[in-house]
Amino acid sequence: MEPELFILIAMMAVFALAVFAGKFPIGVSLVFAAVTGSLLSGFGLSLRHLVEGSISYLDPILIIITAMIFMEIIRETGALGEASRLIVVNLHSRPLLFLSAVTIFIMLPGMITGLSTASVLTTGAVVAPALIVWGIPKARTGSIIAMAALLGMVAPPINVPAMIIGGGVDMPYIGFGLPLLLATLPPALLVTFLLARPYFGRGSEEAIRNAFTDLPVHFKRWRLFLPVLILAVLMALSRIIPNDFTSMGMPLIFVIAGLSAYRSGLPFNYWKVIRVAVNKALPVMGILVGIGMFIQIMSLTGVRGYLIVNIVQIPSYWIFLAIMVTLPLFGAISSYGASYVLGVPFLLALLGRNEIIVASGLTLIASLGDMMPPTALAGIFAAQVVGEPNYFRILKICIPYIILTAVYGILIIIGANWLAKFLVI
Amino acid sequence: MKFLRQNSLRLAILLSVIVISIQTGREFHQMHIVDPIYPNPCEIRLLSDYFPTLKGTAGDTDVYLFEGDSPGATILILGGTHANEPAGMIAATCLIENISVETGRLFILPRANNSGFTHNDPQEGNPQSFTIRTTAGERSFRYGSRYTNPIDQWPDPDVYEHFPSGQQLSAAETRNLNRSYPGRPDGNLTEQIGFGIVQLLQKESVDIAIDMHEASLEYPVINALVAHQLAFDLAAEAVLYLQFNDIHFNLEPSPEEFRGLSHREWGDKLGIQALLMESANPLQGRYHGKVTAETVTSGLDKYNMEAAHSGLIEVEYPDTGIPLDLRVARHLAGLNQIFTVWNSYNENKINITDLPEYDDVLEQGIGAFLKQPTGER
Repeated sequence: MEPELFILIAMMAVFALAVFAGKFPIGVSLVFAAVTGSLLSGFGLSLRHLVEGSISYLDPILIIITAMIFMEIIRETGALGEASRLIVVNLHSRPLLFLSAVTIFIMLPGMITGLSTASVLTTGAVVAPALIVWGIPKARTGSIIAMAALLGMVAPPINVPAMIIGGGVDMPYIGFGLPLLLATLPPALLVTFLLARPYFGRGSEEAIRNAFTDLPVHFKRWRLFLPVLILAVLMALSRIIPNDFTSMGMPLIFVIAGLSAYRSGLPFNYWKVIRVAVNKALPVMGILVGIGMFIQIMSLTGVRGYLIVNIVQIPSYWIFLAIMVTLPLFGAISSYGASYVLGVPFLLALLGRNEIIVASGLTLIASLGDMMPPTALAGIFAAQVVGEPNYFRILKICIPYIILTAVYGILIIIGANWLAKFLVI
Repeated sequence: MKFLRQNSLRLAILLSVIVISIQTGREFHQMHIVDPIYPNPCEIRLLSDYFPTLKGTAGDTDVYLFEGDSPGATILILGGTHANEPAGMIAATCLIENISVETGRLFILPRANNSGFTHNDPQEGNPQSFTIRTTAGERSFRYGSRYTNPIDQWPDPDVYEHFPSGQQLSAAETRNLNRSYPGRPDGNLTEQIGFGIVQLLQKESVDIAIDMHEASLEYPVINALVAHQLAFDLAAEAVLYLQFNDIHFNLEPSPEEFRGLSHREWGDKLGIQALLMESANPLQGRYHGKVTAETVTSGLDKYNMEAAHSGLIEVEYPDTGIPLDLRVARHLAGLNQIFTVWNSYNENKINITDLPEYDDVLEQGIGAFLKQPTGER
C-alpha cells in the first residue's frame, strides 16, 4: 500500500470517528483529520501549515457571515415576509410563470457573484415563505432553492469555477455566456417544475392571503425594501464598473445594506440580530476553516497528488464516470477546490474537445459539490432558510436531480465539439 | 476561582490560540526578511525611481543596472514575477552576482513582485524557503506565491477585469503581476507594479525585455520561449541554435487575444521585443507528491514521475528529476542565445562577460555561481 493511501485512510477514519463517535462538529473533526495526516507524514504538528490552510476561505467566510446578518435584519424588519407576500399574491394563480420567475429570481445573486450561498441567503430566503405558503413542503422548498442556487452559481455572467479552471490552462473567461446558459437554465427550470409539480394548486387562495395578514403591509414599501435595493445596486455596480468597486467587496456591500435597514420596518436590535446570525453561520464557517487545513495537509503530504494521478489515469470513456463521481465528491470539500484540483487535469485529459464547452460542463458537475456533505453549503443554508432541521432530508430529495444534472453535464462534455458550432462565438 | 473552574476549557483553548498565533506569526513574519543578493559592481535603483507612488510600499523592488563602457542595446530581465517559480529568481540572482557588461545596458529585477515573496499560496503546502549549497555554506532563498500578498492588496473583486481590455479572469488573478500589464497609476498595487515596470521600459528605451518563469509539468506551454510577434524572428533563431546544442525549447507565439501578459502588452504598447521563458517546476501543478524544501532543488517527485510514465505531463521526466540547476541553466542558456542572435543583426549590441555557461552550471551546480552566505566569492 502506498504511504499516501494509508495516510488518506487514516485521515478519513479519524474524521469519521470524531464526527460519529466523538460527536464533534464537522469543522473540528476536519482539524483532527488534518493533524493526523501531518503527524503520520512526519511533519509533526506543522502549525504553520494548519494556520495557512485555515485562512484559505477567509473571503467566503466573511461573505457568509455578513450575508447572514443582512438576512436576519431584513427578516426582522418584515421585508422578507412582505416580498414573499407580493410574489405569491401576484403570481400564485399561474404556476408555470410563478415557478419560472421564482427559479430565475433565486439564481440571480449566484449569477452575479458566483456563489451559491449568495443565492440561498438572499433571494432564496425571500421566496422560501412564498413557496411554502403556495403548498410546497419545507424540505422540497429547500431542495428547489438549493438546486436553483447552485445552478445560479454556474450560470453566466459569473462562473468562478470556470475562471479557476481557465486560470490553470491560460484560457481567458471569454465566450462562456451561451454554453453556460445552456448548461444551467434548462436543468434549473426542469428541476423546479419536477420538484413542485405534485403540489400545484395545493395552497388555497384564502390560506395564501391569510398567511401574510400579520405582516406590516402598512409600512412604506420603498423604505422597507430600500436595503435590498441598495444591496442590488451595489452588487450590480461592482459588476458594471468593477474597477471602481474593486476595493469594496461583497462583505462590505452586505454591511452597508444591513446598516441602511435601520428604521426601515419593524424595530430590531442590531446586537441581538448579529448574535443570532453568527450562531447560525458558525458551523459552516468552522467547516470552511477545517476544509482549508484538510486540503493544505493533503497537498503537503502528497495525498492530493496520489489521488489526482490515480483519478486522471482512468482510461478512455471511464473518465466520464470519474468526472461524474469525483468532481461532486471532491466538491463536498469545496466546489472551487474541486475545480482547481481536479477540473484542470480533467480539462487537460479531454484536450481535443472544445475547451470552453468542456469547462462549462465540468463546472456544472463541480457545482454539485455544494450539495454534498460535510460542507453542502447550498444544502445546509437552504435547510436553514426554510426551517428544516435535517439537511439530509433535502439531500435525499435532491439526489435524482443531482444525478440528472451530472449526466447532463457529461452529455455537454461528450458533445462539446458539436455544441461549439452553435454556442461558441 | 469559580470563574476559572467554570471556564477552564474555554481559557485553555484561548491560551492555545494565543500561543499558536505567536509561534506561527513569527514564522509568517520571517517571510518579510529579504534574502541578501551580493551584486557585482553595478548601480542599484528602485522601481519607485520610475514610478514614485510605489515608494515605501510592498510593491517597490530593487532594479540592478549593469552598464557597459560602450553604448549599445538596452535589455530588461525579470525574475520573480511569480515567487513560486524559483528558477527565474535564482537565474536573475546568478546574473547579478556574476556578470559585468561591456557594451549596452542590462536592467535586472530579481524579485519583480516583491510582495509575492512574503507569503505562500494557501492549500499548496509549499515550503517558505529552500537552500542552495555554495562553495562555502548554504544560502537560503524564499519560496513565495504566484500572487501579491493579500496583506498588501485586499479584498479581491468578485471577478478580475483587466484594464484596459475588460477581459475577465478569476478574482485571485487581480493579484497576478503577469495579468496586470500595462498596469495603471491609480490601480491596485499589482497594477501599479505593472505600470512601474512599463514606465521603466519606456523611460530607458528598452530594446528587449525577457520575463523568466516556470510552469507546472502538465501545462502545455512549458520548456518554452514565448514571443510577441515583433520578437518572433529573434526567438525562432535563438530556439534553433539552442536545439543545435541539445537544449530543447518550444517556440510559442504570444496569444493575441489573451491580455495582461508581459509578452503581449510590452510588445503591443511599447513596440519592443518581448519574450517569456518557461522552465518545468515539479512543485507546481497538481500531480506532485510530498512537499519538502529539497524538492525545490532536486526536482525529484514520485507522482510527477508516475504521471510522466502515464503520459500525463508535457515534458520528459528523467529518473534524476528536473533539478533547479537544470532549470536555471536553461534560463541562462536562453538569455545567452537571445543576446547572441540579437548581436548578429543589430548595431547596438549587448556584450556580457562571465555569464555562466549551461554545461558549467549543470556540472558544478548553481551554487558554484552564487556568492557565499557572507557575500564573498
